[in-house]
Amino acid sequence: MIELFDVTKRFGDETAVDGISLRVEKGELCALVGTSGCGKSTTLRMINRLIEHDGGEIHLDGQPVRSFDEVALRRRIGYVIQSTGLFPHWTVARNIGLVPRLLKWPKGKVRDRVEELMQLLGLPVAEFADKYPRQLSGGQAQRVGVARALAADPDILLMDEPFGALDPITRATLQDELRVLQARLHKTVVFVTHDMDEALALADRLVVMHQGRIVQQGSPVELLREPANPFVESLLGGMDRGLKEAALIQVSEHMLPLGPRLLASERIPYGASLSQALSVMLWHRVDRLTVVDEEDIPIGELSLRRLLGAKVP
Amino acid sequence: MGETRQSPNWVLSSLMLAATAAWLTLDAVSIAPNRIVPGTPYAALEVVGGWPALLMAVPMLAVVVLAWRPNRKGLTLSLGVVMALLALLPLWLAAATAVLVTPDMPQARVGIGSALWLLLFLLLLVLIELRTRLGMSRALGWLLLVPMLLGWWLALSLWLEPLALLREYHARSDQFASAVQQHLALVGAAVGASLVVASLLVLAMRRHTGVRRVGFGVLNFLQTIPSLALFGLLLAPLAWLGARVDWLAVLGVSGIGWAPAFLALLGYSLLPMVRNIFVALEEVDPAVIESARGMGMARRQVFLQVRLPLALPVVLEGVRITTVQAIGLTAVAALIGAGGLGTFIFQGLGQAAMDMVLLGALPIIGLALVADALIGALSERLRPGGAA
Repeated sequence: MIELFDVTKRFGDETAVDGISLRVEKGELCALVGTSGCGKSTTLRMINRLIEHDGGEIHLDGQPVRSFDEVALRRRIGYVIQSTGLFPHWTVARNIGLVPRLLKWPKGKVRDRVEELMQLLGLPVAEFADKYPRQLSGGQAQRVGVARALAADPDILLMDEPFGALDPITRATLQDELRVLQARLHKTVVFVTHDMDEALALADRLVVMHQGRIVQQGSPVELLREPANPFVESLLGGMDRGLKEAALIQVSEHMLPLGPRLLASERIPYGASLSQALSVMLWHRVDRLTVVDEEDIPIGELSLRRLLGAKVP
Repeated sequence: MGETRQSPNWVLSSLMLAATAAWLTLDAVSIAPNRIVPGTPYAALEVVGGWPALLMAVPMLAVVVLAWRPNRKGLTLSLGVVMALLALLPLWLAAATAVLVTPDMPQARVGIGSALWLLLFLLLLVLIELRTRLGMSRALGWLLLVPMLLGWWLALSLWLEPLALLREYHARSDQFASAVQQHLALVGAAVGASLVVASLLVLAMRRHTGVRRVGFGVLNFLQTIPSLALFGLLLAPLAWLGARVDWLAVLGVSGIGWAPAFLALLGYSLLPMVRNIFVALEEVDPAVIESARGMGMARRQVFLQVRLPLALPVVLEGVRITTVQAIGLTAVAALIGAGGLGTFIFQGLGQAAMDMVLLGALPIIGLALVADALIGALSERLRPGGAA
């Protein structure tokens, strides 16, 4: 659990972070979103004390971060940055094993852990262990970055625009992988991004920052439903908000049982999102879809009319 | 491999044309009956009826033709031709010597003429061009010189006794060996000391911006003093010190000799050294440093395990530049009695004996090239992530 109480940071005359309070529960993925220069990165780096805060308190599991030795503190917090920051003169395996080695784990244990992580992140050991960072693609390098952050099994993971420098397809793949990973590992994650779609897709809790202050925080759906002001609304995509919300909802949540009527001709997998379903309806100009399971067997139906009715009771 | 139409390699053809022209028109050798009388110059075509020179010009022109449509085969063939020519050159010189130096001239001295120097120089340039075009590694490039070196070694040890350069060498072979030693000792001491002093200076500069500003200012100023003037400026204070402080006098510190030479060389070496070490350390990717700190490396660990190893190739680049510069500057140190190869240069200038000047200058060039290649190769090896 991470708690920030009225935290402030000034650089000279400029106030980068202005009295923010925030609580990230254990196992929660919290996304800090905002335009560049809003103080989100500074906030992140105050948690592992790469930047020291000027005012307020930051607590990890109830203890102020200042009470820890800063080096020891950082070794128990995973840290991933946009440009990966991999050491170019070390192999992939050596990069990943950095923190366990700093913690003086025995050699065999470090090696086992490195191999375990490489498998977890889809990097075949035989192929990648002895490669150097410059021989990796952007996506592979960022996987190594995530593996390195997870190496000593920290409870907390800080990620500073980790996928910001990747092409859209690689980014989407890594976002999916992170979601799967998080469902399995339940780390407490603070994730900084300026990409609202990324935040909506990954976050349990969204924190919108502007000019060093928190403008609004809540679950993605809460924010979409009731943006606090026009700034948050525009950040959320203005008129696209409906579709963004629909993207967060699975078809299965609005599925109706199969009725006596004929099956609709167009099909949609039950795991698809509502926005994908709407897209299929628009494309085929139909108002009903048959929902199917993994084996393409009909298990229910989706009706546009009921969908609209469900929204306005 | 498909034969793609290549545009002519102008570098190759113009270098080779120039080499041919120089070879056939300029003076190749000069023969003097003794050290005092100026020599009689001969063009290559005037020696042995000129046919060997013409014979050598034929493959040179062939390379010009091959450069018109350069493909891999043609370039490899050209490489062979150039290597053969480089190896033949000393043998031609030996033949010319045998013909031109008659038994009634026991003190005869053979001088190398401008045609030979130019040919040697241009052929080496062509060799570099061909090595690059054929994508050969540095190490392989050095191997290409072996036939030429063998040729010279053979000619010098068997037939070229009347070569003026060799006569100068034989007259002072002991002096030559100790001059090389002194030269290397001075360079080594100056570069080594400047590496240590520069490292300490850079560490202080990184801590305090004040030291940085003053440090670079002083070093930049030092660099602008002409070397001869600096030697002169050191004369008085060091002579004074040597006279006053007994243990310094025992060490040999005085206004002339190794002490002022060493100090001046150290002064000149500091700027390139400091600048390279400073830049090398500062220019390590900040993201890498940030992540090293973020991962929980202590200050020392960040410096020793990340910053320093990543900076090392650039630091070595500084050592390389400094060493090459110091090898050249040490020649001037001969003027204040520090010894070294410069001694021959200045004695030769004084006696108007150009061959003696060469006896000093050629080894200096050789030393600089070897130092450059060795340190360059070392820095290449230390590049992060191996030589990918």
